[in-house]
Amino acid sequence: MLTRDEVEVVLFTLEVAALATLLIFPLGLAAALALARYRGPGKGALETILSLPLILPPTAVGLVLLEALSRHSPLGAWLAARGIEMVFTWKAVVLAMSVMSFPLLVRSARTAFEEVDPRLVGLARTLGCRPAAAFFRVTLPLAWRGVLAGTVLAFARALGEFGATVMVAGNIPGRTRTLALAIFHDNQVGRDDRAAVLAAVTAALAFAALWTTELLSRRLGRRPEE
Amino acid sequence: MIEIRVDVPLVGSELHVEADLPPAVTAVMGPSGAGKTSLLEAIAGLRRRARGRIACGDAVFLDTERGVRVAPEQRRVGYVPQDAGLFPHLTALGNVRFGARGDEGRVETAIETLNLRPLLPRHPASLSGGEKQRVALARALATSPRILLLDEPLAALDVELKERVLPYLVRIRDEWKVPILYVTHNVGEALALAGHVLLLRDRRVESQGRPLDLLSSPGLSVEAEAGIENLLPGRILGHDAAGGVSRVELEGGIPLSVPLAATRPVGTAVVAAIRAEDVLVSSAPVKGLSARNVYEARLEGLERTGVDVTLRCALAAAPSPWLARVTPAAVQSLGLKAGQPVWLAVKSHSVRLL
Repeated sequence: MLTRDEVEVVLFTLEVAALATLLIFPLGLAAALALARYRGPGKGALETILSLPLILPPTAVGLVLLEALSRHSPLGAWLAARGIEMVFTWKAVVLAMSVMSFPLLVRSARTAFEEVDPRLVGLARTLGCRPAAAFFRVTLPLAWRGVLAGTVLAFARALGEFGATVMVAGNIPGRTRTLALAIFHDNQVGRDDRAAVLAAVTAALAFAALWTTELLSRRLGRRPEE
Repeated sequence: MIEIRVDVPLVGSELHVEADLPPAVTAVMGPSGAGKTSLLEAIAGLRRRARGRIACGDAVFLDTERGVRVAPEQRRVGYVPQDAGLFPHLTALGNVRFGARGDEGRVETAIETLNLRPLLPRHPASLSGGEKQRVALARALATSPRILLLDEPLAALDVELKERVLPYLVRIRDEWKVPILYVTHNVGEALALAGHVLLLRDRRVESQGRPLDLLSSPGLSVEAEAGIENLLPGRILGHDAAGGVSRVELEGGIPLSVPLAATRPVGTAVVAAIRAEDVLVSSAPVKGLSARNVYEARLEGLERTGVDVTLRCALAAAPSPWLARVTPAAVQSLGLKAGQPVWLAVKSHSVRLL
């Protein structure tokens, strides 16, 4: 069974991963919609930049974040001036997870938006919808499967985030230690049995998230044909 | 009055249309690629690069000189694209309600008009082509549109379905009093519905005017039935199933025998279409001919059209002359001259009912 500390690590991980997913959801949808609809110069470059975290070593992304948040950078200075401490706090964990998960959400949602016939959106406009209303009444309902899949994928990715988190948030027990970090720590100090238990818990959580989505998508996707 | 002075950039060229359309039904015709759909989209506000002026009655949709470009959601046009464009995630009822802003009375009337009650709980995926078109029409009507834009609403339907949907369009025309722009390739539909025809070709207006005048003018470029020189309105008098013919009475009481058309009830208004080259001309009374339709006429004029000669033949009772096309050799051997009597013969099978 899990110790009290381990339970706390699991709950903390779920909390920050959920928070990160919540944070990137509106931003990710906006970016996905822009990429799906925008046809013009710079589109390819924009897509590549948004996808970079997928292929870079997470530690490299973590390093960039660390630099951006340091007091020498404009952003870090701005935050410091307002008394906001990010580095080596739970907020940094959320940030690291967000950045690493963002491209997964955007890619999945973008594909889903691209499959929505733009003429249907135009028709919604002629039927009295402002652009925002057309998005919520036509585009999103027609793309929700891809959006949901991307959201869950992003959440699962956040659950397992390690490299960027360890760079920008450290591995502080009770403050920034997530499941992925705890597994690494247990292994380092020779508690391979506990590491294995936590790995199993991580796998179970990710599995549960993906499986629930699959079921939900199947149930809601079924349409009465008569 | 619908005022259209518009330039719409398209791939490769530009659509340019200038027309003042009556507030009734206008058939928009022309070959594929002539710009018919683009014109409707420009009126609906879906062509952001359209320039010029579009006004429907008092409502100005577009006036680029004055910086006016009304958003599609504020134009109140009922646009029905060729494939109906129903929202696949909504039921038929959800689709009809989509633009009605909660006006249930309006929704009910639209449902009644198009007889949709049994279809309401179904999703578009389970509707036939004609049912989809009816739902899309109702969806457009439920928004209280200022103008209806219908893009070949019957093109995807087979003949039987067409004859079921057409009456709904007639009903909309007569009961709702909404101006309609109606894209079609089909001369019969244009004649049945429209009081005005706008003919596009190569992204320009080729001509416009009353359907019968326009569609019977020779050398027209509309596909399928257009370019048929003799378009003769009339009504069905009766059917002779054993004889394989139906009897039609043309304007002026002229009888015409046509291939059996039993699906059209007695009394139905029809237009008989006869190509000029299918009208046989004789300089003497005709006897013992298999052709069912023989008429005496006076040759009013001869006109060289290409290699052939087109004859204008006045039947005593007919409101306008019939056109017959013959070779110059035939003119010579018959010694045809303006003013002389001629006899015209038309086989039943040369007549198409529109």
